Amino acid sequence: METELRLLWVAIVAYVLSGSVAIFGLVLKRRPERFVLTAMAGGLLFHVAAIALRWDRLGHGPFVTLFEILSSNVWSLTLIYCLAYWRYRAVRPAAAFVMPLLFVLMGWLMLSSPEEGHFPVTYRTPWLYIHVGLSKVFLGCVLIALGMAIVVLLRRRGIALARLAGMPADGRLDDLAYRFMALGLVFQSLMLVSGAIWAQDAWGRYWAWDPLETWSFVTWLLLAFALHLRLTLRTTAPTGAWMIVAVFGLAFLTFFGVPFVTTAPHKGAI
Amino acid sequence: MTAEATVVAPDIRPLRGSWLRRAGSLRITLVILPMLAAGVLLAYEGPAQEYATWALVLPLTLLAGNLMAAIATHPAFRRQGALLVFHLALLALVLLVAASRLCYLKGTAEVLSGGEFAGLKEREAGPWHRDRTADLRFESSGFTIAYKSGLRRAGTHNRVRWRDGSGLPHEQTVGDQEPLVLDGYRFYTTHHKGFAPVFAWNSGKGPTEVGSVHLPAYPEHEHRQWNEWHPPGLGQPVWIQLVIEETLLDPSGPTEFRVPAGHHLVIRHGDRRLELRPGESANIGGGELRYVELRTWMGYAVFHDWTVPWLLATCALAVLSLAWHVRCKHFSRPWRPDDHGELRGMES
Repeated sequence: METELRLLWVAIVAYVLSGSVAIFGLVLKRRPERFVLTAMAGGLLFHVAAIALRWDRLGHGPFVTLFEILSSNVWSLTLIYCLAYWRYRAVRPAAAFVMPLLFVLMGWLMLSSPEEGHFPVTYRTPWLYIHVGLSKVFLGCVLIALGMAIVVLLRRRGIALARLAGMPADGRLDDLAYRFMALGLVFQSLMLVSGAIWAQDAWGRYWAWDPLETWSFVTWLLLAFALHLRLTLRTTAPTGAWMIVAVFGLAFLTFFGVPFVTTAPHKGAI
Repeated sequence: MTAEATVVAPDIRPLRGSWLRRAGSLRITLVILPMLAAGVLLAYEGPAQEYATWALVLPLTLLAGNLMAAIATHPAFRRQGALLVFHLALLALVLLVAASRLCYLKGTAEVLSGGEFAGLKEREAGPWHRDRTADLRFESSGFTIAYKSGLRRAGTHNRVRWRDGSGLPHEQTVGDQEPLVLDGYRFYTTHHKGFAPVFAWNSGKGPTEVGSVHLPAYPEHEHRQWNEWHPPGLGQPVWIQLVIEETLLDPSGPTEFRVPAGHHLVIRHGDRRLELRPGESANIGGGELRYVELRTWMGYAVFHDWTVPWLLATCALAVLSLAWHVRCKHFSRPWRPDDHGELRGMES
């Protein structure tokens, strides 16, 4: 376990370095993008090695304990953001706002216990990978949109105008952010459907309105509302940005709040 | 390059009532979606459970009406086929969920190892469910449950036998992820299972009857292994307790659920207390009670809902059409802001 934790620490340090350099780059009006991308990618490699070692040792993936769920989410969100960072050069400065959000998850991860948990027998199904994978892509899409939304909101308040001047106009950022939100809706819909198929197989009910299911559905409704709002009222970029912040906030609380504050079984661990 | 005359077709769509257009307004959708979210939270997370049904039915009905009116009047649905299919699928989903609530059945059953399914123990069903569980027949031939160290349940394997409509015998092992499906009713093994002493009872006034008493689930209720039983013809109930004389499920290592080799029953009838081991008999209230053997019982969750495959197909259609719509709407234009020349002063 020590090797796994060492590798994880190296990955976290690389992520923090990447995020910190992105922040300093924005503050100092520099563009150390190659370094940020390299550090992020390097961290991902160490992180995947840590996850793979643990997977091999325990015989199951990072799906059970708080430590495993946080670790896999830090990895998947960083991976998705890293791909967006690599692909969309114009929105790279938003990393200075996105990475600190991941720092919160990393801090929580380092405080949680890496002890082994019980891998329930109902988790032995391909639907686990499909359901969890889709949920990670959904959250990743909303995270990318959030980065752009924060830029729009900061600029609207006159903060860091000069530093963010190189980025596309608010309207263009809003358009791009809502494309990711629309993709997020597709992946969240798939996540809900795959979860229902799994629940029917494992527990004999496709939907039981347990707290996580309920809040996931409410998040889906809020995302649908945000897309409808923009379409119907032709909202301004800042209003759209606030809606993205709301969707991300609710999705974040659903993913990382509800499973750990409720005692109702979603995990089938009994 | 040739210039072509563009002929604009006259709008031959029938003039729809302004009330229908208003009912299908997307602005109304913006009111109904938060109503539905609030209804869901009120129904499933709020304290007032008595209003749960209406908190969901009202916004869902409004949403269905709004959706139908929008599909009928909004020109966007005629221009964008995938969007139309997505919203039609959403409408079908609302109707299917309503049908599901009217026709579903959820229940529980307990079946003795070596015994037959004899009806549901608990039952909850929609008003339109036609209950055919009384016609279902299957026999449980016993089960194995492996535990990892720390009494962590691994796999459940339950052997069941039944005959199909033409009388052909079938045997199957069901368990985690694999239910027994009979006439659309799905029987899922659960973590509720336990022990059942089998008795032969002769009241002295007729033939000997054989029956079993299901004790509370084990190991869930390890320290509450007793139950009451009313033998036919005996006025006062008999109180039965199973005393296990060994460590049955040792949490220090891997183990397996099994009938304890060392055990006895404590029987109380009125002021009398006696102990019985397998094969032993006792006279109680003028009749003879013989403890035959100890068996196990398996608890099942039973589910029936004919809408499930339709719901799945509709969900698949909804997601596919949504994905197609997103593809048509957003992938036809460049995704990279750089392509619009809006990237200024950034290094590559």
